[in-house]
Amino acid sequence: MLNQRWKKYEKKETKKLQQTIPNVDLEKHKNDKLSGNLEDTIAFIKKYLGENDDFYIHHFRVFGKFQAAIIFLSSLVDKRTINLEVLKPLMYIPQHLEGKTIEQDQVNEILLNDILYNSQGILEDHLADLIDVLLFGRTVVLIEGINEAITIETLQVDKRSIEQPPTDQVIRGPRDGFIESLQTNLALIRFRLHSPDFRVKITTTGKESKVKVGICYIKGIAHPDLVKEVNDRISAIEIDAVLDVGYLEQLIEDHHFSPFPQIANTERPDKVVAQMLEGRVCILIDGSPFALIVPAVFTQFYQSTEDYSERFLMGTLVRIIRLVALLFALVFTSLYVSIISFNPELIPTDFAVAVAGGRAGVPFPTVIEVLIMEISMEVLREATIRLPQQVGGALSIVGVLVIGQAAVSAGFVSPITVVVIALTTIGSFATPAYNAAIALRMLRFPLVILAGIFGLYGVMVGLILIINHMLSLKSFGVPYMAPIVPGNFEGMKDTLIRAPLWWMPKRPSFFHSDNKTRLSKDSLSKIKEPPSNTLDPMKVGNERWDDTDGISSTNNSDPSDDRHI
Amino acid sequence: MEYPRQITVIQATIVIFSSVIGVGVLALPHIVVTMGDTGSPFVTFLGMCIAFIGLAFLTLLGMRFPNDSIVHYSEKLIGKWLASIGSITIISFYAILTALTSREFGEVVITAVLRETPLEVTVIVMLLIASLASRNGITVFTYIHHFYFPFILFPALLIVVLSLKNANILYLQPIFGNTQENMLQGTLTVAALFQGYFIFTLVIPHMRRPERAMIASIFGTLLSGGLYILIVIASLSVFGPEELKVLLWPTLELAKMTSLPGQILERLDAAFLAIWVTAVFTTLLSTYTLTIHLLSKLFRLRDHKMLSFFLLPLVFVLAMLPKNILHMYEVIEIVGRLGLLITVVYPLLLFVIALVRKKRGDVNVKKNKEQTS
Repeated sequence: MLNQRWKKYEKKETKKLQQTIPNVDLEKHKNDKLSGNLEDTIAFIKKYLGENDDFYIHHFRVFGKFQAAIIFLSSLVDKRTINLEVLKPLMYIPQHLEGKTIEQDQVNEILLNDILYNSQGILEDHLADLIDVLLFGRTVVLIEGINEAITIETLQVDKRSIEQPPTDQVIRGPRDGFIESLQTNLALIRFRLHSPDFRVKITTTGKESKVKVGICYIKGIAHPDLVKEVNDRISAIEIDAVLDVGYLEQLIEDHHFSPFPQIANTERPDKVVAQMLEGRVCILIDGSPFALIVPAVFTQFYQSTEDYSERFLMGTLVRIIRLVALLFALVFTSLYVSIISFNPELIPTDFAVAVAGGRAGVPFPTVIEVLIMEISMEVLREATIRLPQQVGGALSIVGVLVIGQAAVSAGFVSPITVVVIALTTIGSFATPAYNAAIALRMLRFPLVILAGIFGLYGVMVGLILIINHMLSLKSFGVPYMAPIVPGNFEGMKDTLIRAPLWWMPKRPSFFHSDNKTRLSKDSLSKIKEPPSNTLDPMKVGNERWDDTDGISSTNNSDPSDDRHI
Repeated sequence: MEYPRQITVIQATIVIFSSVIGVGVLALPHIVVTMGDTGSPFVTFLGMCIAFIGLAFLTLLGMRFPNDSIVHYSEKLIGKWLASIGSITIISFYAILTALTSREFGEVVITAVLRETPLEVTVIVMLLIASLASRNGITVFTYIHHFYFPFILFPALLIVVLSLKNANILYLQPIFGNTQENMLQGTLTVAALFQGYFIFTLVIPHMRRPERAMIASIFGTLLSGGLYILIVIASLSVFGPEELKVLLWPTLELAKMTSLPGQILERLDAAFLAIWVTAVFTTLLSTYTLTIHLLSKLFRLRDHKMLSFFLLPLVFVLAMLPKNILHMYEVIEIVGRLGLLITVVYPLLLFVIALVRKKRGDVNVKKNKEQTS
């Protein structure tokens, strides 16, 4: 009995092993070439793809003479192109070839050079490659007796239109965002960068997904070692599938256990171009509207492209506000907890009395109160993101009522706690980079707990731990807190403030770019020249005096001043 | 491996500054006034000068042997066995100093803000953050110092500036004090507060241009000494010498008296103490890093990370040895003065021997730099 069962099991086991995995099997045929026998080749392709119902083979005769077959995956290709640009010209002998006899060994060349109306036709002579090519949406034309196949680009996948990206929104600045197609995304970048220095290197990753990965950089600005390092890290990846660029991020980042993102991402082509112009490398993949930007430093997570579109004073102000919001999101609740429960003598007496009055009926210590509110706020926020839009509005109303009004009147929390929680929550929304905002949002909880145990001392200890950690991080060798520490003057002009563009004629040096100049010296001196007051009333209306070369006359066209008359 | 020579002169200056400025600031006016009376600022200045002598010889030695720390070049100068005795003395001295610093700050915290927290907890917390941070390399070590520099300098200056409205200039006179008999003692005690500068021996081998180390040590001493003098002046002019003698931590009292304009915060002592955690942390980090790095160099270990937790219980026990706060200050004074033998006299001796024996390290740093890069 037992023996029988065992035998059965054994049989099953062997059966399992016999099942071939097409992907692995194909590896064996890596070097096999086309034989020229049409039926053999079709049989080979059918073996791997024939089971699919969207797999099509169509037999026909080229010029009514040579036996041929056209093969494609109907779900991936544009059938109109196949009909009009491939099949039609193949079946009719064009006028300029009429009457000439075509030898079989010439057919391929004539087809590619004279017949097909398609710019992306190439010849393929490896069997295994034919399978690959079909899977990427190309159409294969096989002709009897010829040991090369013609493959033609016919890929057509529906894609959404280019819209304003939902993350990284700006008031002023370009409105286009990346979509899921690598080709379109590259087009959006090239559209902004008509330079022969721009480089894109396309490879594939993922054993099953074989997704296209584009590594973009600007030659001469990005450090060659950085480009090499990015290439090395990506080519080292052996994974079944890469479904989003975030998979790559996790596989190539430096410190896996850090809460802080060490690689930035964006949906904006203009941001990608700007980052590449600072010497960074960008990674895009097919199927993800996000681009990765390496290396990343902490300061760039609170910067937005809008800072540069706006004039520098506004940019600076907005940036400082964002930084304040970021600090708020991190420490405000813990400061509140520690001051209320440990050092109420610090705050003005009137306010302390008001706080104590508000807290009169609250049953919990401040730290518990704050933690409950923080957690319910996080839950509410997460729920609002996941819900369908129609329900989202209702939820936010309920959330506002529950967390705001009802919690206070139920004596559950004090009104000032609600104010503090609201401020921190709003503060965490002001950070443009979502992943950095999450890091700070999560680090808020340990800080609150530390504040509940040790007061201000605990908050400080927590902050020191966080900052020490940040100072020890590196992204592709660039210190995470650069350019603040280690100090770099050129880069510092673009951290806390956004200096005017003419103050930053050089690229930040922590990317060790070979080509340092951003703004040429000539234009710098042009900018510093006094403005030529072209339409100054004195110059336009009266030509009695010599042209003062752009400097308005000393009396500033004041009619009561008659020195010149 | 990290690129070994990255530290600039500014960073080195900052390292000296924040290694020196620490918990000593809180008690300094009290300690110095018991010996110097109204001459305290002058005594502080003298203390700074003595400390600078030690630092200057350490720097000269470092410039002479730009690739080695004191453990290695002392072996070249006075032989392996004698040098290892010296190195072990230095290492154990800094382990004790770390312990005492953490103990002192622990006492301050439980007295001033966290009255119900056990002393052990505050001490171990400080030691833990220092030992966690000490696991990093010297480059990150300087980054840490660099980042906290403004958080140490500006609050201290703010306290000094805000307290000036209560100042009475008469308290500062006579400038040289009423009696000069205790002055030497006072000078030595103040000099002992500067002993964090010894970290410079670890920094020089990592400096981009070790030949400019002297600039860093001059400015480092001036900055830290200047801040000490300012704080002594501020508390002396606010409280007067007699009052200062009964205040244990006058700087904290100073913070208590001041309030930010606009009544945002009514008193600053708790906030100041919170920010001062960074200053104490940087000092602890320096002394602890010095201890474990020198120890790993002495035993020719490739990595210092293991030692950072290995030494922690030992330092903690050392910190708990003094019986109470008064006993602790007695110990600090004795240890500090004896420490001057190590931090001032030892480098001086080594330098004289180096001069006499005409020994020199591999001064050709540039060539070395090219090889490593």
